[in-house]
Amino acid sequence: MTADASAPEPAAPGGPGGRPKKPRRKPLTLVVVVGLVLWTWFTGRQVGFDLTTFIDLWTNPLWQKFWPIPWEWVLDRGNVIDPLIETFQIAVVATVVGCGLALPVSFAMSRLTSPNGGTYWVTRVVMNIVRAVPDLFWAKILVTAIGIGAFAGTWALSIFSLAVMVKLFSETIDGADPRPLEAARAAGGRHVPSVRAGVLPTVLPSYVAYSLYIFELNIRASIVLGLVGAGGIGRVVEAQRQYFRFGRILGILLIIFVVVFVIEQISVALRRRLV
Amino acid sequence: MIELKNVSVTYRGGVKALRNLDLTIDDGEFVVVVGLSGAGKSTLLRVLNGLVPATEGSAKVDGIEVVGASNATLRQVRSRIGMIFQTFNLAERTTVLNNVLMGRLAMVPSWRSTFGLWPAADREIAMQALERVGIVEKTYVRASNLSGGQQQRVGIARALAQQPTLMLADEPVAALDPVTSRQVMGDLARINSDLGITTLINLHFLDLAQEYGRRLIGLRDGELVFDGDIADVDDDTFREIYGRSITAGDVLADTDT
Amino acid sequence: MTATVPPDERHEGSPAGRPERPVGPLVARAVVFVIIAGAFAWGASGLDASWARLRSAPGDGWAIFALMWPPDFATELERGVIGKVLESVYIAWIGTILGAAISLPLAFLASNNVSPSFIRLPIRQLFNAIRAVPELIVAVILIAITGLGPWAGALAIGLHSVGTLGKLSSEEIESSDRGPVEAVEACGGRWISRVRWGILPQVMPVIISYWLFRFEVNVRASAVLGMIGAGGVGAELISQLNFRNFPEVGAVLIITIAVVIFIDTISSAVRKRIIAGGAGDDQSRMAVLFGDLVGHRGG
Repeated sequence: MTADASAPEPAAPGGPGGRPKKPRRKPLTLVVVVGLVLWTWFTGRQVGFDLTTFIDLWTNPLWQKFWPIPWEWVLDRGNVIDPLIETFQIAVVATVVGCGLALPVSFAMSRLTSPNGGTYWVTRVVMNIVRAVPDLFWAKILVTAIGIGAFAGTWALSIFSLAVMVKLFSETIDGADPRPLEAARAAGGRHVPSVRAGVLPTVLPSYVAYSLYIFELNIRASIVLGLVGAGGIGRVVEAQRQYFRFGRILGILLIIFVVVFVIEQISVALRRRLV
Repeated sequence: MIELKNVSVTYRGGVKALRNLDLTIDDGEFVVVVGLSGAGKSTLLRVLNGLVPATEGSAKVDGIEVVGASNATLRQVRSRIGMIFQTFNLAERTTVLNNVLMGRLAMVPSWRSTFGLWPAADREIAMQALERVGIVEKTYVRASNLSGGQQQRVGIARALAQQPTLMLADEPVAALDPVTSRQVMGDLARINSDLGITTLINLHFLDLAQEYGRRLIGLRDGELVFDGDIADVDDDTFREIYGRSITAGDVLADTDT
Repeated sequence: MTATVPPDERHEGSPAGRPERPVGPLVARAVVFVIIAGAFAWGASGLDASWARLRSAPGDGWAIFALMWPPDFATELERGVIGKVLESVYIAWIGTILGAAISLPLAFLASNNVSPSFIRLPIRQLFNAIRAVPELIVAVILIAITGLGPWAGALAIGLHSVGTLGKLSSEEIESSDRGPVEAVEACGGRWISRVRWGILPQVMPVIISYWLFRFEVNVRASAVLGMIGAGGVGAELISQLNFRNFPEVGAVLIITIAVVIFIDTISSAVRKRIIAGGAGDDQSRMAVLFGDLVGHRGG
């Protein structure tokens, strides 16, 4: 662009240096995107991705077996209600045990309240390993160890609850206001009473909210425990599946849905009042 | 009785918060510490109860060496030192009483305090502390529902509940309005004159210092630059401590606003 | 030197005297305790747990872990356990992609700032219904229809993820700032532009982090689905357990744990990067990234 010799150049827009050049799009982004697409393609092939399945699903004659729902059978106490109650019981006990244990463990696992570095690291590592094991693996292993039935299932779910609660709660403790803890220390308190007086009141509402949430999770998880022989309604579902009695399974699912829905509403209402 | 000899504190990263400080404070004294932010006022207080470890030197509280002391010794010393914070440091979600009881943590067995089973005698001490600062009617109120001035009084009650021999107040009125600030300073002054507790207060506003204190300590860049009677403070002293002349920002607004 | 106390700052002690201890909170605490203790007792009663069983349980549990040591990697590697664990990962990946792809548009339709209530409410309930049915049961049904194999597992995971991701995403969308949407409207943008420019850039970082977290969860889920024949490492675990080959079980467990932790670590690092990049370089990078995918040419 030639300059007019007589008139001074107006200040270039965008600052004294003139217009900035358009930043080159970083090659990293492109590489990442392409990589993800290729990876997805690859895994899709491995897994047997097959769009025709969706069509299959709609037209499969097996769906007819889902209807009508034999309500008489479903609502009979022995068939569904009792195992469902057992499922419930497993969830309650597992929540209480798991969340109860999680309280001290979470404090040990949090930067803010851990008594010393060693405890912190050990608990962190152990809990990470526990969390890495899928929940039903625990159930199956415990069933093999202690025997079939709700007892093993409860232990498995307790471990699961412990792992989830510890993760959630320790992160909350990390974010809590450290100042009352400083005051308690300044007054000469030992570690545990200082934490209890200074940090617990702040984080307690979150603890309760998480417990309710974990209770919901456990209700759903305990449903499937039965599939590995660990008690509850899952056993019934498995038994019915083997005889292709899908109508009954659908009936069970509907009841489960209603129960879970009700519990969820109560839990949400309670949680709202807490925080 | 506080004795600091050649105390230096260097934070990680090389920041020298205190340099070769020598200081002696007798029992029952009421001492005000002034200086710019970062001059070392907070550090000075926190060295005394071990919340900040001194890098060099010796600090003795009632004859007990604090620098390099074991955790058990520190706890013992801290139980005799009441600390009041600028941000009150209350546990907001619980009652005033529970906050004041925190002052009894060192005197009550761990299991009792952990499960909230405070002995009657300690509860009585807590109530008396609340009465002394004049807010016992708020005993069962949630701490977050109180005003700033009330919260600070709870902080004072918490310190009083320890039945301390030394009170450390780190900018206790910085977060309060002028009227409330004067009430809180009055409380601290009364506690010192009625109960004879040695009191060390960090302040930002010089006129508050002049109203309530007798002995003034000025810190600048971690060094002690003034130690004497408040009545002797003039503009030169001011410049020594703050590095500049006095401005409006250094005095509290008039009380009749 | 003690303090001088100006007379007007003295309190006259406490006017009202000591208050009574309020009963309310104590009662509430007692009630909660009773409810929990009662629920626990009721729960425990149905579990056929005797004191004898309680005492032997930790011992039995520990015994089984002791039997797993030393773990037998050699046999497992021969049996192709690595391939199976990888298969679980693939299943989880495809399932998550499916879930993400389906849940995103549905989430918009389920948000009150995008969609009218006659569309929104049914979709909300759809999410709830899907969430209520555990993946395992979905998989059970799917297998009956499509046959065994990893694809059934991926479908089950994908469908179930739609429920959770849909709910979380729609909550994120609803809580987004209305400001940018208003700006687009003021420029004369239509509904689709309001969504694309006003909402999408704001919520994408968080939603992507939800996808990643879901992937972590789904890896575990797909390992479990293997137990009923939907592909992956679960079947191997079951068969070895049934044959009581504990050292092999130990090897499967350790390899699974290692892979899960590895994925968790990467995913969590990426998530932190995405969220922390919030208001700066990375968010615009994410927006640009997404723009690329949608075929946007700007600048």
